[in-house]
Amino acid sequence: MENLDAARFQMAFTLIFHIIFACIGMVMPFFMVVSHYKWLKTKDPMYLTLTKSWQKGVAIFFVTGAVSGTALSFELGLLWPGFMKHAGPIIGMPFSLEGAAFFVEAIALGFYLYGWNKLPERFHWITGIIVGISGVSSGILVVAANGWMNAPSGFDYIDGQFLNVDPVAAMLNPAWGTQALHMVLAAFTATGFAVAGIHAYQVLKGRNIVLHKKAFHIAITFAAIAAILQPISGDLSAKDIAVRQPVKLAAMEAHYHTEKGAPLYIGGIVDADKGTVTNKIALPGMLSFLAFGDFDAEVKGLNDFPLDERPNVPIVHYAFQIMVGIGSILVLAGVLYFISRKRKKWADKKGYWLVFTLLAPFGFIALEAGWIVTEVGRQPWIIHKIMRTADAVTPMPGIVFSFYMYVAVYTLLAVAVTWLMIRQIKVLNQTTY
Amino acid sequence: MLYVVLFFLLFSLFLYVVLGGADYGAGIIELFSSKENQKITKKTIYRVMGPVWEANHIWIIIVIVILWIAFPNYYHVMVVYLHIPLTIMLLGVTLRGVAFVFRHYDAVIDNSQRLYDAMFKFSSLVTPIFLGMIYGALSSGKIIVTDDVSTLSFYEVFIMPWCNMFSLLIGLFFASLCAFLSSVLLIGESDEGVENIYIRKSAIAAIVVFVIGLITFIYGYSFDYVFVQGFMKSRYAIGILFVSSILILPLWRAIRKGHKVQSRVYAVAQVFLILCAAILAHFPNIIITTTTRMSILDTIAPDSVITALGISLIIGGTVILPGLFHLLVSFKMIKILNRNNTSL
Repeated sequence: MENLDAARFQMAFTLIFHIIFACIGMVMPFFMVVSHYKWLKTKDPMYLTLTKSWQKGVAIFFVTGAVSGTALSFELGLLWPGFMKHAGPIIGMPFSLEGAAFFVEAIALGFYLYGWNKLPERFHWITGIIVGISGVSSGILVVAANGWMNAPSGFDYIDGQFLNVDPVAAMLNPAWGTQALHMVLAAFTATGFAVAGIHAYQVLKGRNIVLHKKAFHIAITFAAIAAILQPISGDLSAKDIAVRQPVKLAAMEAHYHTEKGAPLYIGGIVDADKGTVTNKIALPGMLSFLAFGDFDAEVKGLNDFPLDERPNVPIVHYAFQIMVGIGSILVLAGVLYFISRKRKKWADKKGYWLVFTLLAPFGFIALEAGWIVTEVGRQPWIIHKIMRTADAVTPMPGIVFSFYMYVAVYTLLAVAVTWLMIRQIKVLNQTTY
Repeated sequence: MLYVVLFFLLFSLFLYVVLGGADYGAGIIELFSSKENQKITKKTIYRVMGPVWEANHIWIIIVIVILWIAFPNYYHVMVVYLHIPLTIMLLGVTLRGVAFVFRHYDAVIDNSQRLYDAMFKFSSLVTPIFLGMIYGALSSGKIIVTDDVSTLSFYEVFIMPWCNMFSLLIGLFFASLCAFLSSVLLIGESDEGVENIYIRKSAIAAIVVFVIGLITFIYGYSFDYVFVQGFMKSRYAIGILFVSSILILPLWRAIRKGHKVQSRVYAVAQVFLILCAAILAHFPNIIITTTTRMSILDTIAPDSVITALGISLIIGGTVILPGLFHLLVSFKMIKILNRNNTSL
């Protein structure tokens, strides 16, 4: 394997892991404080048990997220020194603020985890809220750095030099807003469906049903709202990319020929060599409409771009199809949940709980697919139109061994965390009232 | 603003060495304890470190982020030429953090605890050794900075600069320093009656620190290591190191008399002075390569970046430091002060 490929695989692999831990660490505190609030209001001991069980989950995911994040902060430089040497100072602002937000989160979590019966009730609960808010803030700030790679701003690029650096303008890059909104909603959707799915499975199995139903309702409410809002944010993102990164949009849609009234392809098998898409459903004019709000607008095709400036079209196209497909299913599931709140009979049927059990991993699959779209879709650039990924990679040979090591360690970590969660739930089920 | 940034860089580094160091040290103490004492230590570590250990380790991220934003060329040299030890250190940080959480948050207590304990103890020893080795590599003048790595062998460029006796000695020195810090901290945190374990440990650790330090100097001096030579030439560095060694006397008195807060202040002051001496010996040339000495003041990011970073750090600092202080006070200091009041 070439050094560049190994470095890209390693980065992708660690990010795919980190994003799961980070999202759960960002979103679960909100479930935890809602349950905590209900305990304070109702004094129903089940909510206390649930809060304490979720807090252990938060602690485990926070730490795994924190250590994999620490690893990432080094990997940026270890794998892409050419990138960090120039980009580090420019995009340092969101990273340093993210560090601060993360610090606040760690402090608040320290108070929360160890504050039971020691801190005043209200203050203790508020520290839980701070955990959630600072977690989401650090997520949003990190996305600013990624947004900058897609929409580099805040400097003048003259003769290979980065001059007149303005770190604030770099942070407020045009891609940040749409990307951050999309990511926050995705985090809530993915974590919500995953947590709700785990509790739905427990209901399905008839274990400690009352408690797991309470847990399910808290998690799925967040997830359903986020899933229903997500298409709006997706539309904003698509319109943004259509203008800023037309080649990425063309790859997402496997759109080869520039045309007016471009059709939208659903599914389809891409032949990247011939530049054709077969077995697709084509909706006439829809791509033009979704990209520019006009059925007759011209959408640039891949053939208009030089070969060495195109990303891997099949990967981007398939990942995009997966993201949108699952996103649509989750919108339906969200609507289904809100209807079931009126039609209470549905919740008596096993099928209802089976559906939500099966949906558990889908949010995360869509989220990972979405990141593949934006990251693979940005290639061959590490900084859009400024620096190629191939020019940023470390000169040290043999990165492939580092990649294997990361695969081994992270796989072990994933297995261990899953196993711990199963044990956590088993203990929770043995609690009696 | 540059000085604000430099202050935060050194401040974070110092806090990482003290807080993170004590954290690593706790694992090292546990590793070198009898089975019975390991149990006691494990319980004490959890009580002391539990609420704060995550915060302790964020300082290294702050150090790294400041380095890459404000001193990108420095960062570049580190990540390119010290890729391997940095990766091993990261592996250690990861396994250690995970093991700590697993052993304290696992819902079921069974045999898997032994695996978590082993992971925790060994990574607690290996990680600070590699941290020290990285510092040793940066300051020993063995890094070869080159535009074309293919003209030299992999060993020369990526292994030899850090994988040598001198770096290893610095690594061992740092690890023993961690153990020393931690044992002094644990004296004040342990339950009545078991303090003697940690008093003994701190005495042993102090001796080990001294012996390894001496060996490092003798080795570095006899093989002409630029770091040690520079150290010898700097009057300030020698003076500070001397003061640091002298502090062992009041420290020992404070421990004997049971002044817990005082003994910690002395121990932290010693570590602070050692760090100062090491940095002062070559300041501002923090990285020394085979051909040049890279001054930290020569390779800084544009002014606009330094200003923005300085402001972020000041804002961040005003939010974080009171919170962190409050956290430490809520869970640690109050308890110690209370116990002091009752025991005195």
